[in-house]
Amino acid sequence: MKIVVADDSRVMRQIVIRTLRQAGHGGHEVLEAENGRQAVELVQTEKPDLVLSDWNMPEMNGIDALRVLRGAGNDIPFGFVTSEGSEAMRQRAEQAGAAFLIAKPFTPEAFDDALASVGVRP
Amino acid sequence: MSSMAAETHLPTNKEIRDLLSGLLGREVTLQPAAPLVVSPKKPASVGVYVDDSLVVRAVIACDVAFSAYAAAAIALMPLPATESSLAQNHLQETLAENLYEVLNVAASLFNVGNAMHLRLLDLHPAGAKLPGDVLMRTLTLGRREDLTLDIAGYGTGRMSVILT
Repeated sequence: MKIVVADDSRVMRQIVIRTLRQAGHGGHEVLEAENGRQAVELVQTEKPDLVLSDWNMPEMNGIDALRVLRGAGNDIPFGFVTSEGSEAMRQRAEQAGAAFLIAKPFTPEAFDDALASVGVRP
Repeated sequence: MSSMAAETHLPTNKEIRDLLSGLLGREVTLQPAAPLVVSPKKPASVGVYVDDSLVVRAVIACDVAFSAYAAAAIALMPLPATESSLAQNHLQETLAENLYEVLNVAASLFNVGNAMHLRLLDLHPAGAKLPGDVLMRTLTLGRREDLTLDIAGYGTGRMSVILT
């Protein structure tokens, strides 16, 4: 499987990739994006199976990236990995078509549960 | 509901410990300390938190030791990576980048229940010039938590969460 990890923080991208590995998902190919615009471009050119995206990013934030993808008819599973874990944010994410929202800080178990919910297996 | 005037939430010691332990993936212990007094001789990294109208509602100040240890721990960098920052009393750039993410995630400490929603606007790394208004905010008395924290495998430093 191919997974896009979008976060403007290099260290957080590393942590997400490390946590994926700890959750038993180390075998996937991971593509990194520094903002929502890059994530959208990667989805369109690389045809990944899943996007894991931060919410607040420069250039284009995560929710706008999701809206651009859905607006273009792309229904790739899209999950947020964000420090914005409030109920209001979860509702906004769901309404925009997100499959899940993992709040930072997170555990490998949270990743495994979220990925299993969209059919991504180790 | 969200239309009601919301207050800023002052996180408890337990909330701070749980967040840092989870984020850094190692044991963090803490205890109350005297208020952290930031000055040119005792520099601190200061994260500035704003509400949805960009009004500053809180700052988090970390001394050089805690800044360096937390920044190294989040990226699994070995302890020697912190030495230069500690020796120069100045947070190195790579560590500052990592600390930004620690303090970015720490915004979730404020965002509980119906409390006012805050996000990290800016980080002033320890040793860089600290704007006067930001320095003044670190000296606000009242609703604040002043802590000594130990990050297992790294070391002990100081952190203060201050509502302004």
